[in-house]
Formats: sequence, structure tokens, C-alpha cells
Amino acid sequence: MTEHIVSSFDTDLKELGRRVVEMGGQSERLVADSVQALVKRDTELAQKVIVLDGPVDLLQREIEEKAVLIIARRQPLAGDLREIVAAMRIANDLERIGDLAKNTAKRVLALTGEFHPQKLVRGVEHMSTIVLEQLKVVLDAYATRDEARALEVWQRDGEVDVLYTSLFRELLTYMMEDPRNISLCTHLLFCAKNIERIGDHATNVAETIHYLVTGQLLTEERPKQDTSSLTSVAFPA
Amino acid sequence: MNFAPETSIDIASAVNRATAPSAEAKIKVEKLNFFYGDNHALKNINFEIPEKRVTAMIGPSGCGKSTLLRIFNRMYQLYPGQRAEGKILFDGADLLSKDLDSTVVRSRIGMVFQKPTPFPMSIYDNIAFGVKLHERLSKAQMDERVEWCLRKAAIWEETKDRLHTSALGMSGGQQQRLCIARTIAVRPEVILLDEPTSALDPISTSKIEDLIDELKQEFTIVIVTHNMQQAARCADITSFFYLGELIEVAASNEIFTNPREARTRDYITGRFG
Repeated sequence: MTEHIVSSFDTDLKELGRRVVEMGGQSERLVADSVQALVKRDTELAQKVIVLDGPVDLLQREIEEKAVLIIARRQPLAGDLREIVAAMRIANDLERIGDLAKNTAKRVLALTGEFHPQKLVRGVEHMSTIVLEQLKVVLDAYATRDEARALEVWQRDGEVDVLYTSLFRELLTYMMEDPRNISLCTHLLFCAKNIERIGDHATNVAETIHYLVTGQLLTEERPKQDTSSLTSVAFPA
Repeated sequence: MNFAPETSIDIASAVNRATAPSAEAKIKVEKLNFFYGDNHALKNINFEIPEKRVTAMIGPSGCGKSTLLRIFNRMYQLYPGQRAEGKILFDGADLLSKDLDSTVVRSRIGMVFQKPTPFPMSIYDNIAFGVKLHERLSKAQMDERVEWCLRKAAIWEETKDRLHTSALGMSGGQQQRLCIARTIAVRPEVILLDEPTSALDPISTSKIEDLIDELKQEFTIVIVTHNMQQAARCADITSFFYLGELIEVAASNEIFTNPREARTRDYITGRFG
């Protein structure tokens, strides 16, 4: 797109976009580290995630302030307006993603010294691989304004939902098998839910990118496949 | 329950008729070309102005939007060497044909200019002057008319105690609202506003925008403005002109968030060079 007559407007918008990308990188890192901490039972890494969520929150506030200031100063219209609205929305989603990673990290600390069979953690790890991939693709799509890739992310979230539902069943079964699993499995269930939510936020970002690029809201209902709320497992007789 | 066919009413369409303002074209521009001597100022314009809506015309200086406004009001006929081709249908009658009397046209299509243009006479006479050209009213009727249009133009409270003092003593914003009052005094059907607030402070601007909102209940309004936000705020429909061509017409909601044409987008986002 051609540049603005007022060149400082371009500088403002570029700076805003740059911070969103930076924030995206940071929250992606938090998610990856929180899962690592869980799998490796690394409390030090978990501590780090908890501390590093602070700067992400700070970035979100900065983006919001900057966006409000640009609106007040320049009264943006059309694509410029969408650019700013998108930055604010995406920053909100990334801030929530950071919080969810932090929550997972806190659970790692709660689990120290607990009975910790690796096979229980595998499912969560597998799910997080997909979610991390989704997050990476959607952040790339933002950086390159690639609406098609954003839409791929939006469509793929169903896969995460299916995994989460099966993980839910699996963890319930482990709890029934051995009561010593309950504490770990409950925490793992929350971790899995956190990761599933992170996937949802990634699709929100995808929707925002669609709006940013096309000017149209994605009104179509996303295919939801998380049926864990309806799932129960009978106790073996 | 069994309704006889003659009493049955299509309620949905009745409600629609009652609540939705009519969107029929009040003015229809067809294949309009306009020349200032050799200068081809408007090129093949096709355009409809819906009734009882606010239509904004935006575009850079010299794009032809004021020219179009002046053609609606037949101002171009005052100058030799200016000519228009094509058709402008106003309630079915062609505004460009010589059969229509310009004075009658101007009483039905009023215009307010960029700079307030009060006559050098009292506030009261500023309004009565135009009314007297078209109607014979008694003193009481005229008083009523003056009050009605000053109230409509949201300036009655400020002027009711000084109706017989000179209009030139008013502030710019008041003078502009007086000009709007003067325009609606002859009860036109269409009001043309050529950058009505460009010389006014923000408070007077807000008052006039508020007034536009009020007036669209009864009148069809066309506004030329350089202020994008004003068009976004006031207009139901916005049209973008560039180099004598009509580039895009759309609902304001759409044109200011997601314009279809690249030139429109570049203009409204301040990227024109």
C-alpha cells in the first residue's frame, strides 16, 4: 500500500504492528516453556514462565495506549482503522495466552514431589505440539497479512478439540485405575484445558486477521468438536 | 380466528413503510457531462440521491463535487460558457431543461455556502426576504414562519430577542445557522450544503451536524465536505469524486471501514499524492 502523506502516521502504524509481533513471539515462548516445564518437571523453567508473563501484560497495555492515542490523533479510517482495531484485539488474545501459560507453570510447581508417570503427560505434550504450531502459523499470518493461512488455523482448531476430548476420557480412566493419579490427573486436566483455550485464542487471532485483510467479519460458526462437557466414563465394575 | 380477506393486512410491510424512511431517488443524475468552456469538469456521472437521506460528496479540491452541487441549484446558468449535457431528473422533471423556472427550482432546492452569507439586514428580514418572493403571508403568518425556521435551525433561543438587529452582528456559527434557517424558510425539498462548517469552530460545527440529523426527517440533504469524519458522522450515503469522475458510492458505514476502490481507500486514509 502507498504511504501516508503524513509520514509519522506510517511510523505509528508500523510501530504498533511491530509490538504486536514482538508480543506474539513472547507469548509463544511462554507457552512452549510452560509445556517443557511440565514434561521435564522443571520448576526453574516454570518459575521463569511465571515471571516473564509480566512483560507480556505490560506490552499489551502499551499497545492499547498507543492504539488509543493513534485513534485520538489521526482519526483513522478504512484499512488504517482496521489495522488499529486488529492490533488491540490480537494483543488481548496474546495477553490471555500468556496468562494461560502462566497458569500451567504454576501447576508444575504444585506437582513437585508428586507421583508422576510419564505416560500421563504424553497426551498433553502431543496436544501442545499442535497448538504451538497453530500459534506459530497464525502469528506468521499476522506478520505477512496472509488471510489464507489464518483461515487454515481457524479450520484446524477442531483437531485440538478432538484431542482434548479424548485426553479428558483418558485422564478420567487413569484416576479410576489408581487414586494416586488423581492429584496429577486433575492438574493435567487443567493444563490440557489451558492449552485447548490457547488454541481457541489462536483462532480468535485468525478471525481478526481475516477482518483486518478483507474488512469482513467472519460470521460463520466455527466447527466445535470439544465434547468433553458431555463426556462421562463409567466406573469399571 | 378467521379474518376476512379485505381486513387482512400485511403487517410486516406496513411496519416497514411506517418506520423506514423512504429511499426513493429524489434526484437522478444520468450521463451528466459538464464543461467550463473547454474544461471537461464532470465526466459521465450517473448518480442517485435518495429522498430524506443525507448524501455526502467527498473528493480532493477540483474533483467536481461543488460543480455538481451548483448544477443541482442551476447556478451555472448565471455564467456564459458553462454548459451541461445529460439529464438530472428531479421528481421526474429534467433540471437541465430550459422549461423549468430557475427561481422555482431554487425554492425547491435550497443551498447553503461555505462562508455564511447573511444579507445586510435584520435577522427577521433575512428570512422574510426569500419567503416574500414565493408566498403572500400576513404579518402573523410571517412571524410564525420566521420562528418555525429559526427553531428548526436551532438558533431561535439565541435570536428571539434580537430579531430586528442586523444579522451581521452575529457570530460565524450563528450566521451559518441563520443561512440554513433562511434556506428552509421557503420549505424546499432538497438542501444543498457546500462545506457548511469549514469556517466554524467545533461547537458550532456540532450544532450544525446535529441540525443536519434533525433536518433529514423532512428534507433530502446533500453535503459537500472535506472533513472525512463529518461525512462518516452525518451521511447515510457517501460518494467519492476524483478528477471529474464518480469513483464510488456506498453506504457511509461501508465506505469508511471497507471501501471497494483503491483510490477511495487512498483518499480517505490520507495517502493521496
